[in-house]
Amino acid sequence: MPEILALTAFLEASVRLGTPLALAALGETVTERSGVINIGLEGSIIAGALGSALGAIATGSPLAGLLAGVVSGTAVAACFALFAVVLRTDQIITGTAVTLGGLGFTGAVYQARFGTTGTALSLPTLDAVSFPGVARIPVVGSAFFSQPITVYLAYLLAPALWYVLFRTPWGLSLRAVGENPDAADAAGVSVVRTRLHATLVGGALAGLAGAHLTLAHTGTFSEGMSAGRGFIAIAVVVLGRWNPLWVLVAGLLFGTASALQFFLQTLGLDLPYQLFLALPYALTLAALAGWVGRARAPAALARSWPPQQ
Amino acid sequence: MDRRVTVSAALATTLLCGACGGGADTDEPAFRAALLTSGPVSDAGWYAGAYEGLLMMRDSLGAGVSHQQTRTPAEFDEAFLAYAADGYDLVFAHGFEYQDAALRAGRQFPEMTIVVSGGGRVTENVVPLVFTLEEGSYLAGMMAGGMTVSGTVGMVGGVAIPPVQGTFRAFEAGVFAVNPDARVLEAYIGNWDDVSAAKEAASAQLRQGADVLIHNTDAASFGVFQAVRERVAEGEVAWAIGMNRDQNGIAPEVTLGSAVIDIPRAFLATARSWQAGELGGVPIYVGSSRSVIDFVPNPAVLDAIPAGLLEEVDSARVRIRRGELEVPRVHFVEGETEEG
Repeated sequence: MPEILALTAFLEASVRLGTPLALAALGETVTERSGVINIGLEGSIIAGALGSALGAIATGSPLAGLLAGVVSGTAVAACFALFAVVLRTDQIITGTAVTLGGLGFTGAVYQARFGTTGTALSLPTLDAVSFPGVARIPVVGSAFFSQPITVYLAYLLAPALWYVLFRTPWGLSLRAVGENPDAADAAGVSVVRTRLHATLVGGALAGLAGAHLTLAHTGTFSEGMSAGRGFIAIAVVVLGRWNPLWVLVAGLLFGTASALQFFLQTLGLDLPYQLFLALPYALTLAALAGWVGRARAPAALARSWPPQQ
Repeated sequence: MDRRVTVSAALATTLLCGACGGGADTDEPAFRAALLTSGPVSDAGWYAGAYEGLLMMRDSLGAGVSHQQTRTPAEFDEAFLAYAADGYDLVFAHGFEYQDAALRAGRQFPEMTIVVSGGGRVTENVVPLVFTLEEGSYLAGMMAGGMTVSGTVGMVGGVAIPPVQGTFRAFEAGVFAVNPDARVLEAYIGNWDDVSAAKEAASAQLRQGADVLIHNTDAASFGVFQAVRERVAEGEVAWAIGMNRDQNGIAPEVTLGSAVIDIPRAFLATARSWQAGELGGVPIYVGSSRSVIDFVPNPAVLDAIPAGLLEEVDSARVRIRRGELEVPRVHFVEGETEEG
């Protein structure tokens, strides 16, 4: 019986750690399908984390905080889009600048609001919502169906985004813009507007991922707590082959690998802890080498449009 | 296109500097001191203490001060270069990770004195400032060993650098001194700012039966305190112990105490000895004998701690100060054999 409990706790941790990666990666999938690679995702995540903390403190409501996180993440993505999509700056350089700027700016705001030497916030958190039937399935039930609302948003967004991308006219034009912007433009699709929308969707979901970190997972905020998740999310997009359904699976898989490292360290095996920390990355490399092999990125990914002279 | 890139990069730089700012006084300062940290000073711990120390040098010694947060080794070199070019006299590089860059900069800029907190190598102008936090950690370990009901305690670290391993080995020794049969869990998260990872690592230890956790993870420590808080909210008994700074106020209801370094006091003393021309060539050790290191029980939970245990910790503190009780140390200073 204790083994079963441990397994359930381990799976719960996997879902908690995988959800922010899945959310951010789902948004980035939409962005990349339109031919924009937003390396500034990390900036949106940390902005979402701080925005949701400030929102939750101001209103006392974690749901309002969640919304504030989404707005903050979108605002950072709007900065990126202004430069990379409208002004056609290099996407990689702009994204890097937005990440650095996001980390610095949130740090400045946090220190201005909570003191230079920091305060450990204890935020109102999102409670776990249990689905009466499925949550009682042994072992996996509570792991997957007794979680905060952000987790269910990830479950719902994956099929919804799949449907939008592959079964609606808007999704078709978005993918056309990502594959061949000239042809899309000739067909009357506004390339700039489509890419703008796709980038903002990406920012909103990255903001939601940040809000999950503060309001659904840790209940606190500290500078730099996004800790590279934006970059891992970009790898998750590749691992999920730019398909929202696989991206969700890839995000949760990565979460499982992260949870496993802490589980294994706690067992006190006499191995260097760095081996366990490398686990999620080793898994990604293996997956990229093996099964993603034949997947192809959107043809116009990272290319500005119209092309520079 | 190039111009646009410059604009966005400049924007980002401006935003960044908002966070890492700090500046010199307008009046002619007595001397100029700078602080380098590789994490945010808002961690309410290791870096926050250093920042307070910097401000004390400004207020008590009239120093012109500056602080920069540097993330990567390339930025370490840049920062030393910038401070040397600006004529800074004394640079506090607050962490073991600055060691190599400090040695390079020390050779290049003989006029500048660099103090490396937890550093391991000595030259005429590069001086390790070694906090023997092991003494505080040992007392914290005694407290943990005496308070655990399950017989299991846990340690969550950032990166297993020697100063962190030192505090953990001493903590273990303290636990075993009062509770020889205890089990001590150890986990590292691989960085200093991932609050989620720290919370998961702490939760994993709590699920394994640990009921007293100590951390050495800087800003990510908030996650350890949150994990303990949630465990207590679930109706279990669990305690956290703070590290590097008095963190008893972070989660006062679940914190037993803190292994504390009085970093401001150590910085101030170091700056004074630099002013007196006595700094250089030998490492500086600061420990409980100079009241820089201590274990501070949390006054808010004193009722929950058996009086006998408090007495035991107090008498161990006295014996450490008198040199009668030797606390295990991880030696990482070049040429070090005995504690100085």
